[in-house]
Amino acid sequence: MKLTETNFYQKIVRDPWPYVTGAVLLAILNIALFTATGNPWGVTTPFSYWGAWIWKAIGGHPESWGYFAEGTAHGKALMQQTFLTNGGSIMNLGIVIGALFATLAASQFKIKKIKNIRQVIAAVLGGLAMGYGARIAFGCNVGAFFSGVASFSLHGWIYTIFIFVGAWIGSKLLVKYLM
Amino acid sequence: MEVSLLADYRLDCMGEACPVPLLKTQKKLSGLNIGDVLIVEIDHSCAMKNVPEWARKEGHNVDIEETGDGEWEIYIEKTK
Repeated sequence: MKLTETNFYQKIVRDPWPYVTGAVLLAILNIALFTATGNPWGVTTPFSYWGAWIWKAIGGHPESWGYFAEGTAHGKALMQQTFLTNGGSIMNLGIVIGALFATLAASQFKIKKIKNIRQVIAAVLGGLAMGYGARIAFGCNVGAFFSGVASFSLHGWIYTIFIFVGAWIGSKLLVKYLM
Repeated sequence: MEVSLLADYRLDCMGEACPVPLLKTQKKLSGLNIGDVLIVEIDHSCAMKNVPEWARKEGHNVDIEETGDGEWEIYIEKTK
């Protein structure tokens, strides 16, 4: 019997896992991360560092911005850390490598074609809106929703209400412009 | 003698991300006749989950074929 025909391969490596399995694993991993580092999981904060590090490297002065004020965690990350010494950046890299490995193991890797210019416009506008939103909401669906709600923080619940509002507006725009 | 003409239709959803394949499938299927088969071509793994899930919940017959690396064809036979 070939490896790809085994039940293990089909159920664990190739087929998508049930939502409940994913939810339980994410919860366990977030508890482990919180226990080990003192911070719950987040994704987008390191992106703000990446942008600021690049901006600084080409001559900008992000250290003068309020977000990166001296003495704050963001300020310390900007001035004292690099991509390789910032835990969040390494975790984000791990997500990309892990996802790539999972896709290759399942024989589902594919470089997709861009279908039309509307996809590009939607991706750029959506990315900008999500990046801006994640900063003013203190996180994305991971940092603000997943970790915020799990930490009994009110901001996580407010985020949860408004993500439904955002998804409703987004789905109307999607049907209008991408269908 | 009355001959019913059952037909195959293809829906190209290559390069489309969720939830576009599902929305396009729902729209296309609503215009077909009972017994018609809709073949949805996808290369987005979430669509491989949510398109068949929706079609089965609606009571249609569903079959998935892996046609290449990261490419699938979902066969949906409209039953009602």
